[in-house]
Amino acid sequence: MTGALFAQSLVLGVLLGGLYALLAAGLTLYFGVMRVVMIAHSAFLILAAYLAWYFHERTGIDPLLSLVVTVPLFFVVGYGMQRFLVSRLRPITLTTMSVLLTFAVALTIEGLLGFVWTGTQRRIQLGYSGTSIEVAGVSIAVVKLVAFGLAALSLGALYLILRRTSFGRALRATTQHPEAARLIGIDTDRVAGLGFGLGLATAAVGGTALALDYTIYPSLHWHWIGPLMAIIVVGGLGSIPGAAIAALLLGVAASLLQVPLGTTWAQTVFYLALFVTLMIRPQGFFGGRLAQRF
Amino acid sequence: MRATRRLTVAAIAAASALSLSACLASPEQGGEAAGPDDPIVVGVSLPLTGDFAEPGKGVQRGYEAWAKHVNENGGLLGRQVELVIVDDQSNADRVASDYERLINQDGVDLVFGPFSTRLVVPAAQVAQDYGFLFVEPAGAAAEVFEQGFDNLFYAAPAIADDHYDHLAEYILALPEDERPKTIAVASMDDPFAQGTAYGLRDQLAEAGIEVLVDEVYPPNTTDFSGIAAKIADSKADLLIVGSQYQDGVNLVVALQQQDYQPQMAAISGAPTNAEFPAAIGDKTEGILAPTGYTPTAPYPSNQEFVEFYTAEHDAPPAEDEANAWTTGQVVAAAVEAVGCADPSPECQEQLIGWLKENEVETVVGPLSWDAQGRPQSAHLIQQYVDGEIKIVLPDDVKEADLVHPKPAW
Repeated sequence: MTGALFAQSLVLGVLLGGLYALLAAGLTLYFGVMRVVMIAHSAFLILAAYLAWYFHERTGIDPLLSLVVTVPLFFVVGYGMQRFLVSRLRPITLTTMSVLLTFAVALTIEGLLGFVWTGTQRRIQLGYSGTSIEVAGVSIAVVKLVAFGLAALSLGALYLILRRTSFGRALRATTQHPEAARLIGIDTDRVAGLGFGLGLATAAVGGTALALDYTIYPSLHWHWIGPLMAIIVVGGLGSIPGAAIAALLLGVAASLLQVPLGTTWAQTVFYLALFVTLMIRPQGFFGGRLAQRF
Repeated sequence: MRATRRLTVAAIAAASALSLSACLASPEQGGEAAGPDDPIVVGVSLPLTGDFAEPGKGVQRGYEAWAKHVNENGGLLGRQVELVIVDDQSNADRVASDYERLINQDGVDLVFGPFSTRLVVPAAQVAQDYGFLFVEPAGAAAEVFEQGFDNLFYAAPAIADDHYDHLAEYILALPEDERPKTIAVASMDDPFAQGTAYGLRDQLAEAGIEVLVDEVYPPNTTDFSGIAAKIADSKADLLIVGSQYQDGVNLVVALQQQDYQPQMAAISGAPTNAEFPAAIGDKTEGILAPTGYTPTAPYPSNQEFVEFYTAEHDAPPAEDEANAWTTGQVVAAAVEAVGCADPSPECQEQLIGWLKENEVETVVGPLSWDAQGRPQSAHLIQQYVDGEIKIVLPDDVKEADLVHPKPAW
């Protein structure tokens, strides 16, 4: 591997890891707050990507502006989904049944996408799709940089919301100990709904970022959910910083391993990391018991 | 994962039950002789949903247009043609049981092939077991012809390995200083895409051109920046890509993002797709692609096909539609020559025998086959010249001169 190729792969890995970090943050949030395994997270991601594509197709305006609509929309949908679907599951079987429920939601979204926009692959054609800036011999694609920026901004915003607002404190309290949270007067049902909405809003941002640089098709979400699930387990279920760190590390690892191993085998790094985590540190590497606190 | 496995088990069980009942039912059904006024029923299973849904629907449009055209022109042997098309969901287990059912239970007179190598092989096996003629529109990979089928004919100009023959010839005839010296190859892990790309790679490598990068990626790959980084780092003169569609688009964009500028870019699959220029933008200039079909090809029946199809669909046909139409033409030629179209082994045997001996005029040019069903021609080579995809090789049918080295993208 030449130095230039190493640097290029490293940068690509960080850019990809950023996107993974945002998406995994949403996924781990659901689990942290509600012990819900949200298989449909990546389906909503693709839905947001389609909405961005459709918005661009119709108006010709930059797809990033679709965020103005999709983020609040997804927030409301997430809130509704938690209050009217997920919260109806019996608490004792919530985690397992949520897999089934959100699996069904994912299939429904995939089917509807195919029904409305057919299975044809779609791609947003932007003036700057193939444009890149060169820094010290490394090409950084503008679209990837924008996607990374979006991811970083959203993660930062999420961090601030969770750390600095009273809602964030309520959410963390609900994550840590729902009963205690209720005892001190937190409306945990409402908080859980809002938390779900927040998670889904990150899918809206992630989907738009994804649409900038990827071809999209209805079944694409299956390719995302596996690595994302692996990331949140490695990072420690429920831990947002853990998910972000694991996403960055695994993104970079996948990118670098691609050079000697090729695309097929590089993908397995997510699952290998998952197996290793389950074997030697099932509570995750970066969260552990701390995961419960944030 | 476990859910998928259970589903598969259930599907296999259901399929075996179906084929078993089909076997039991067949003796009663096969006896009826078709009258002269009954339609000729053609059975097809196509991937109308699932991974191959897009090309599958293209093949469906081609078959339906062909049947309509035949029926408007007096039918086959004076009988109308009726298509029975079922959906195999892009599933190789399904496609086999579909053909079992079509032949056994529905008692079709003829069968046409499905789309894609992965589905053609199991389908052809069933047809072979029942002695049926099997002309197929889309199974071009080498392995299709290595299964020992003697009933199979591929209704297109060339098998995957030969698609680039005209281009290989052109490159090797270039003067020493203009000829590319290094190659970077990337192909989807798919027998058809690999066959095409490796056909060119191997011919050039044999002539002493050095292969610097040789990457294979799984069909579901969406992130191509890593592969692009390797190719860009190699600075190879010639880029060879074996793609389906979206992978080709993503790889080209990723390469452009890393400012890789080859002298020549040969990409099979994606560029001949009508949506390719829209997906890539104005950066297609100079991209070369083999094609089994183009509406502008100057073969006699092609004009009729293009006119008929365009009137029906308000858009000219693409390769999938054309290969489906070709399949119809090939079977029709055999049926007209032999004078029968029924499921009896004698008739099917005569049809197979006739195709082994004869050449058929089709929309993709005259076709003839070797004993394993490989067509004996090569693909046209097209290139994006001044924003439009044009035939550049071979010389006798070209619409423009090949541009080499290609302009920067």
